[in-house]
Amino acid sequence: MEIIEKIKTNKSIDNQTEIQKICLDKLQSNPLPNPKSEQWRLSNKSKFSKFLDYTVNKKDPKFDIPFPNTSQSIIRLVIGNNCQINLIEKNYSIKQLSEDELHKYIKEQISSFNQNENWSDLLNLSLSCKNNILGLKINGSKIPPIEIFSHASSNSLNAKTLVIFLEKDSDIELLQVNLGKENSSLSQSTFFCLKENSSVNHGVVSFGENRSNLLNSLNVIQQKNSEYNLGSLHFKFNYARFEISIKQSAGKAKTNIKGMQITKKDEQISTYTKIEFNGPNGFLDQINKSLADDKSHAIFEGSIIVPKIAQKTDASQLSRNLLLSNLAQIDTKPQLEIIADDVKCKHGATISQLNEDELFYMRSRGITLPEASKLQLSSYFQEIISFIPVSKDRWDLLDKLLNEK
Amino acid sequence: MVNENLVKDVVKEPYKYGFVTDIETEKIAKGLNEEIIRLISQKKDEPKYLLDFRLKAFKKWQKMKEPDWAGLGYKQIDYQDIIYYSAPKQKEKISSLDEVDPKLLETFDKLGIPLTEQKKLTNVAVDAVFDSVSIATTFREELAEHGVIFCSISEAVKNHSDLIEKYLGTVVPASDNYFAALNSAVFSDGSFVYIPKGVTCPMDLSSYFRINSGDSGQFERTLIIAEESSSVSYLEGCTAPMFDTNTLHAAVVELIALDDASIKYSTVQNWYAGDEEGVGGIFNFVTKRGKCLGKRSKISWSQVETGSAITWKYPSCLLLGEESVGEFYSVALTNNLQQADTGTKMIHIGPKTKSTIVSKGISAGNSINSYRGLVKMGTKAKGSRNYSQCDSMLIGDQASANTFPYIKSQQPNSEIEHEASTCRISEDQLFYLQSRGIEFEEAVSMMVSGFCRDVFNQLPMEFAAEADKLLALKLEGSVG
Repeated sequence: MEIIEKIKTNKSIDNQTEIQKICLDKLQSNPLPNPKSEQWRLSNKSKFSKFLDYTVNKKDPKFDIPFPNTSQSIIRLVIGNNCQINLIEKNYSIKQLSEDELHKYIKEQISSFNQNENWSDLLNLSLSCKNNILGLKINGSKIPPIEIFSHASSNSLNAKTLVIFLEKDSDIELLQVNLGKENSSLSQSTFFCLKENSSVNHGVVSFGENRSNLLNSLNVIQQKNSEYNLGSLHFKFNYARFEISIKQSAGKAKTNIKGMQITKKDEQISTYTKIEFNGPNGFLDQINKSLADDKSHAIFEGSIIVPKIAQKTDASQLSRNLLLSNLAQIDTKPQLEIIADDVKCKHGATISQLNEDELFYMRSRGITLPEASKLQLSSYFQEIISFIPVSKDRWDLLDKLLNEK
Repeated sequence: MVNENLVKDVVKEPYKYGFVTDIETEKIAKGLNEEIIRLISQKKDEPKYLLDFRLKAFKKWQKMKEPDWAGLGYKQIDYQDIIYYSAPKQKEKISSLDEVDPKLLETFDKLGIPLTEQKKLTNVAVDAVFDSVSIATTFREELAEHGVIFCSISEAVKNHSDLIEKYLGTVVPASDNYFAALNSAVFSDGSFVYIPKGVTCPMDLSSYFRINSGDSGQFERTLIIAEESSSVSYLEGCTAPMFDTNTLHAAVVELIALDDASIKYSTVQNWYAGDEEGVGGIFNFVTKRGKCLGKRSKISWSQVETGSAITWKYPSCLLLGEESVGEFYSVALTNNLQQADTGTKMIHIGPKTKSTIVSKGISAGNSINSYRGLVKMGTKAKGSRNYSQCDSMLIGDQASANTFPYIKSQQPNSEIEHEASTCRISEDQLFYLQSRGIEFEEAVSMMVSGFCRDVFNQLPMEFAAEADKLLALKLEGSVG
């Protein structure tokens, strides 16, 4: 397959690491995801093939996006060349993972990969070289918020990998920002391991420019009594996939997810989530919102898997969708697979347009139609945006969403 | 809290329809090829267009692959090891019920189906299908007075050929799916209903399907046409004897509703489900689809699925006519090693169409019970609405309940609402009922019946009572 050839002949990957070799081997036997599999069935094939059109770029150009101003103390990292950190303070420590630790962990993960579900991870790991993998071990509390950036460069395909170990009893606020560039593809894979009693407020904000593409994969393992809160927002990508896989490895963990995707023009953005409960007393509260306008296509597929061992699981999932144009499309497929009997599981899904009664009310009070729609949209967006940590003030997300042309 | 022995006793409740009727039947050789299809067609003395329809379907079927997307685990079906035509031997033509083999009548008596018109216990007209052939249809004359045609498909082919030629295969085309193609090639009999313009069918119509031989498949076909402003309620019941082998049942049901017409189609499916180890049982692969062609037409499916080793069934509505309405009410119960993958498809094509889905799944034992449904709003379905509700109840910690709703919208001016929940029989509620002096078994049955009430309310009277009893029988005490 072409992509494999591309990866192989690309001079930047002369000295393949062991992980790259393993992943390349796996990809070679199955170069592209099966388009008939549930995870890829609705994916726009021509858009997806464009993702692979760009040449692999190992060297990062300078990060030329101005950081938003902040008065708060914050730890900022950009995945790419020479990104290093080693902080040991009184309350906390943030250390770089050693190469051995990193390799061992990634290899373990690869061994449990499913060719279709983890295709994006396989691609990512076969492309991302040593410099583009950031591994962190975080310990302690009262840690300043962390912002981690991944960005693509124009006319190329970039792959970045992030591995985070959050030690026992630690808690952090982490915002990941994935920035697309014009005519670019970004492959971002994140592996997050939450040890016992740890807690994270995780934000993932991805936005691009014209014709930027994104494959964003997030793998989370939660040990007992950990709490994982995820707020995510994806917009302005010609083609983007956000794949979330969360495993509560021994149950008794809490997961809250609030995600949103906004598509315009002829964009296609999809979110796939898979949440597995491998122990009793797990908790999940998930909401996913989509908005599709113009000729765009928004997709959500969320599966919740509750095996026999996961008694007393309490899981709920809601998919709310706004369809604003005659030519736009929305697909949503919440999915429950339950074997345990003592569980509370529910899901819901709605697709509609803006509420006409509310619009009418506002207009009868002298608010113009565009203003009234904006008001409605902002309340629709705000629920998700307010859940994204660190970002609220600095990234002007609401403003970006409402005023973007 | 649960008495283990009681559980075992009640779960072992035998399948009471499992007897075999010892009757002489005429069977053709096993296997499937063009010759067999020609033979079936010849035996039924069919016109050429129908033979062509069968052969075309067979050609398509040969090119198709058995679907595996439902993830049902079952033994590979050997399509060459099935008898495709089996009929009770009888005189050339029956003019009245008296000429029917008394053993057959006995069978239907055992099943509680009143075939003899003298026994007007219930005001229901019955078409009984035994293996491949329709045995008797009751109340014909009374129906004829109203212009209603209710007969077997084979008769309809002879007497109402124009209608068959016009409508057969228009809702479920021969190439629709693997099992529909198979059915189109080899269908033996089934029921045909035609309700003329402006007529409200004076009584409920009912067909009763009985598989008797262990090695013959049943492939019936039902076609119901409701002309403008007419309405009909149709009931369908199924049973089969107990065999160690798996028998294939692949039926096709087509409904057509024109302007202002309404069709209500109710099923109580109680095919043999196999024993506790999963030996035997019917493989039930059914394609049911209704077409709301006319304005303000309505098709309502209600089903109670308790039998079959494997159920693969998605009664659907194509909502073409403006303001047409589709409904789906389902209770699916699985126990032991049964697997049910059932749900519906509501395809909104015309404007202002409405659909309602209420699905209740109950899984006990080691069974798997899945709801799989599709709601689609096409680009022209302006002002359309859908409401879906799927609830699952789990009994015991070995059973599994899955929900796979596919929702697709291409019309901003439409609304889709879907909700699903999973629960189990609450111990608190059980305790409360028991503390009020209600026996454990009765309490469970009360709660299951309450869980299913939304659906039972939609069933015709006779069926509602039967369904309630059936569930109680199959379930009581299996709480663990």
